[in-house]
Amino acid sequence: MNMKINYFLYIILLIGGISIACSDYLDVPPKNLITDDVVFQNSASTLTYLSRMYSQMPFEDFKYSPARQFFDDWLVTPGTNEGSSIGRDAGAAMTSEGWARNGAYWTRAFELLRDANRLLEALPKYKNNFSEIEYNYFVGEGYFTRAMVFYALAKRYGGVPLITSVLNYPEKPVSELEVPRSSEEETWNQVLSDFDLAIQNLPTQSSQKGTANKYVALSFKSEAMLYAGSVARYNKITGFGEKTNVRVIGFDPNTASEASIKYFKEAYNAAMEVVKSGKYSLYKKKWAPNDKEAQYQNMVDMFFDEESPENILIKEYSYPDLTHGYDSYNIPRQLMGGNGYSAGNCPTLDFVELFDGIEKNPDGTIKVLNDQGKYLLFDNVTDIFKNAEPRLKANVILPGEIFKGEVIEIRRGVYTGDTSNGISPLRVVNGGSPDYSISGPENYNQVDAYTSKGDFSQKQLFLSRDGSNHEVVTLPNGTQMNAGGKSGPFTADRTGAVTGFTIRKWLNPNTPQSLVLEARSEQHFILMRLAEVILNLAEATSELTLAGQPTPDGSDDQIIISQVISQIRERAGADPLKATDILSGEKGLQLIRKERRKELGFENKILWDIRRWRTQHSDPLNGTTQQDGAYYRGLYPFYSSQTDKYFFDAGIEESRMRFRFMEQDYYFMIPSDQVSKSPVIDQQPGR
Amino acid sequence: MKKRLYYIVYVAMAIISLNSCSIDNYDWPEETLKGRVVDAATGDLVLTDQGSEGIRIRLKELSWKGTAAPENFDFWCMKEGIFQNTKIFKGHYNVRIDGAFIPLLRLNNQGDTIADETKYIDINGVTEVEFQVQPFLKLEWMGQPTVKDGKITASFIVNRGVSPQDFKEKIEPMGNYSDEFLNITDVRLFVSQVPYVGYREWDNRYSVQIDYPGNTFEESLGKPITITSNGSIPAGRTIFIRAAARINYATEGVKRHNYNEALRVDIPSNK
Repeated sequence: MNMKINYFLYIILLIGGISIACSDYLDVPPKNLITDDVVFQNSASTLTYLSRMYSQMPFEDFKYSPARQFFDDWLVTPGTNEGSSIGRDAGAAMTSEGWARNGAYWTRAFELLRDANRLLEALPKYKNNFSEIEYNYFVGEGYFTRAMVFYALAKRYGGVPLITSVLNYPEKPVSELEVPRSSEEETWNQVLSDFDLAIQNLPTQSSQKGTANKYVALSFKSEAMLYAGSVARYNKITGFGEKTNVRVIGFDPNTASEASIKYFKEAYNAAMEVVKSGKYSLYKKKWAPNDKEAQYQNMVDMFFDEESPENILIKEYSYPDLTHGYDSYNIPRQLMGGNGYSAGNCPTLDFVELFDGIEKNPDGTIKVLNDQGKYLLFDNVTDIFKNAEPRLKANVILPGEIFKGEVIEIRRGVYTGDTSNGISPLRVVNGGSPDYSISGPENYNQVDAYTSKGDFSQKQLFLSRDGSNHEVVTLPNGTQMNAGGKSGPFTADRTGAVTGFTIRKWLNPNTPQSLVLEARSEQHFILMRLAEVILNLAEATSELTLAGQPTPDGSDDQIIISQVISQIRERAGADPLKATDILSGEKGLQLIRKERRKELGFENKILWDIRRWRTQHSDPLNGTTQQDGAYYRGLYPFYSSQTDKYFFDAGIEESRMRFRFMEQDYYFMIPSDQVSKSPVIDQQPGR
Repeated sequence: MKKRLYYIVYVAMAIISLNSCSIDNYDWPEETLKGRVVDAATGDLVLTDQGSEGIRIRLKELSWKGTAAPENFDFWCMKEGIFQNTKIFKGHYNVRIDGAFIPLLRLNNQGDTIADETKYIDINGVTEVEFQVQPFLKLEWMGQPTVKDGKITASFIVNRGVSPQDFKEKIEPMGNYSDEFLNITDVRLFVSQVPYVGYREWDNRYSVQIDYPGNTFEESLGKPITITSNGSIPAGRTIFIRAAARINYATEGVKRHNYNEALRVDIPSNK
């Protein structure tokens, strides 16, 4: 009996098994994979796809540094390499991506490119899932992403493989999927056409903060086209790929000037459209005419006001989901947070001297000596900068300035010597004459006043070794004073203001010290603001005039340049343009470039500017050039105990960081594994 | 009994593990390439910097089929104008060198080869090559350097190694020729504490650079140039100096200097 039932059961199971296998109702989509049908079923789901794309965008914000490249949380030093500052952890010119822990951007770029191409290819299939507005928006985002990726690639590598469709592997063999590098010119043309398609499709308003719209795309287009035009105009290195014989870097010298004019016109038109839209204005909420304090506060606030009418695109951060550590790494030494970082980014005197309102020598350097060659004495440490342009104070914490309600004490040392005949320059060794060249003393602990040599029969200069080991001086009134300031600079460690300055831009004045921690800051980064767009406009205008071209819309070039510079300077509290200032020709161009360096320092823009101008290797810098290795300068405050006054010593900064950059470094090497494994990818010619 | 079992297992494992030590795919690279870079006109060695602004030797193993394209194998010439590499795989190679001389491989504006004076050789055992090149400039010391107060004064002569006509004839077909290429842009006295003194090894406290705008150097060609070092070199030091000059023309993206030989100078001690 039992046996029979068993047989019976087996037969039923067998039949059942066969019949089930014949049907396909179990052939359901796997639950662990999300298919295109789901991703592109409506606007909300497509936004999810978009947000993944945005997280990989090559935005140069708080997680970017020239040395470490994108998506790196650690020690971010935005102004180093551009010359605005030196950083303890970025002591040389960026010539490669060798420090980038996340690898060369080359490899990363193609991942996002694939996402963008996939979006662009999938959208037409699901067009019915969207309203026309939504559909156009997503198409626009696809092109915007692609434009940004190709732009980020072009400024690093020159010509790149122009992959504009999804490469399907393993459906197609690898040999059919190899794409060689295009020429640099074709690459810039691709950047141009992708930006144009983005502009055509994107709406005039962003769907949410931090995403693209028509004017975002126009603004970045103006920046990218200025880059392309400058390379076509100033680049001198070109060559052909060995495998493909394609001109992978540089422009054909026969057509380069034509190309540069085309790109400068595109830059002009794009920037002009943003200006004419009237959607954005320079931030002046707290600004008041002739009120330097208000102008200064206005320029500090503009970086923290999310509703600033000047912002075109920002990258938002929010604790605890997405954070950065800018405050922690860059805070002045005396306000150091719990992770023990400070002053990672110290502005150079070369940067400070660009600004107005400082007494200068005829050669443009800061005036620290009187006509007899003795130090000028100041009652207060802040006096030397008391008339400085408000924009400088918004960028840099100057000695004795107040930050977070505290006086930031920057003092290199105390001088106790006699002052009846004035104080002679300190950088003297063994009784020689003062030596402020590179062969002079590097550190103040080598000078005669400190070592009691030469004219000094006893030690009359006192310094602090580091933040907790001070030489203490008893002042004539009996009180005691540490030689070095609470925020340095110190002799033997570089946690203080190594140049005599520490950075203020982007530092959040409202973060309590207990929260000045790594991965705790949440202020946003401004990726694009109107000030840059109008400076782009002025520069494109100037370049076109220099090339003998009228502006595309027939506007008067002098009026445009003068309006742009006047507006920027007025808001910054800088000296207004004088009637004698020359706005035309090469001089006018230099004036615009200088304004750019003052306005956009520490915003990850200037390094790319000096690279596209091709001046990084060749510009004179304190007696040499970066191709031979160059140094920046610092300004070191000293207190004279006999007079109860301050004096300042200006010279090559003490840590002697040497920046060296060769002309061929304008193009990064292609990662060598990518070159050797591909039959078509070329290394940079000559490398 | 149990011990014996362990012993057998142990021996078996040892044998198995030895078995996996098979010979690696390739023999050691043990061929040697020796070379000299000489001035085609005089037969003298072409002196150079030692590093990426000096003479680069680039090997391409043409017999290599393991990847899509052979990877470039670069190394640098010694400052005397000779090179040697003793760790090269046997095979057929293209050897090219680039330095402050007329490029051996010349392409026109379309990227087509118009001259190829590089060498295609089999490297096997000790292989010797000699490249005859036309250096842009030639520098020679004049007399002995003198030392006073920690400063070195030295004289030298700069001459062209290749005539302007010859230079133009070879470089112009490469496209976008300019007569400015021939201008001598800077002359330097490099000072260092090591004998490998040059563009990658100089003490910037003492070295001197003189820039010449446009073609203003032209009249100084063939005439002694005297340079005194900067700063004050401490007494008792041993110093090496070299003079260098370059023209306004980059080979492989780098404007390279021509040099004379490094001289040792002893700064007398105070006693």
